[in-house]
Amino acid sequence: MIATFFLLALLQIKVPDAAQFVGAPKGTPLSGPQLEQQTMVISHELRCPVCQGLAIGDSPSIMASNMKAQVRELLERGYTEEQILSYFEKSYGQFVLLKPKFQGVNALVWILPIAVLAIGFVLVVSKAKKLEVEPVHAAAEEEPADDPYLARVREMVEKP
Amino acid sequence: MNRTVLIIGIVIVAAIVFGLFAGLGKDPQHIDSPLVGKPAPPFALKAVNTGETIDLESLRGKPVIVNFWATWCVPCYEEHPTLVANARQLPNVQFVGVVFNDTEDKINRFLAERGSAYPTLLDANGKTAIAYGVGGVPETYFINAAGTIVAKYEGPMNTEILQENLAKAMR
Repeated sequence: MIATFFLLALLQIKVPDAAQFVGAPKGTPLSGPQLEQQTMVISHELRCPVCQGLAIGDSPSIMASNMKAQVRELLERGYTEEQILSYFEKSYGQFVLLKPKFQGVNALVWILPIAVLAIGFVLVVSKAKKLEVEPVHAAAEEEPADDPYLARVREMVEKP
Repeated sequence: MNRTVLIIGIVIVAAIVFGLFAGLGKDPQHIDSPLVGKPAPPFALKAVNTGETIDLESLRGKPVIVNFWATWCVPCYEEHPTLVANARQLPNVQFVGVVFNDTEDKINRFLAERGSAYPTLLDANGKTAIAYGVGGVPETYFINAAGTIVAKYEGPMNTEILQENLAKAMR
């Protein structure tokens, strides 16, 4: 374990750092259960790039576990959720965010379902109003005053 | 009323058909890299095969090809001869291999068996791969002399693809 650590330290003189992408940490360094909890929260907001629609928190792939380890490390250093998501977005693009942002073509994901619901609601309401009115007209039109069948029914009902 | 419903229906169906048609022929796995046109994330890693330290920033002034690969990646076996042959033919271009989630022993065995013409660095915890937005291997980034990423290629390259992308870094 110690040998592996020293080997890694020897091989990795400098690796890209989040500070180059999103600046200095803006939050409080996390530790203990709070760190684990927040790591899980953010891990479920990031898409695993080598999986089919899985969050890194749900994926057993090495890539996802590397990304999760990086999320944990950034939280330990005091990076905020927004900064961490922004860091991954700068490398992978919006694809990596499981919850798409309300901008550009992605805005359609949010707008379309609401628009379709609104159109459906208007259609149902207008159809319902029409159904309420139509039977009255129909009854008025189809009930002639001298209907022999109606006269016969009245006669039978009113007969003592 | 029925005419309005029909028009709305046609518009929705046309939009869906247009969206599906626009996606025809595109690789569903392909993701445009937001790093193209941006400065390459700096790294300095020690080469497992040559022992030298490769600092990306010190390579400014000539085009750099950064190829992410791994010994467990089958398409990387197919691509490796192309990279080695081109690296030998293009001394003014710096080729750098970055091995993703692998071990030094396996890398050295792979290079001993299949040849080596450029430094191969080990990205043990995947931090460099994450900073470059690597989704799978092989993936190759073409960096121009100013240190800007000009192209990204996903999958194994042949010489034609390599030189087509390299041309963007030579401009």
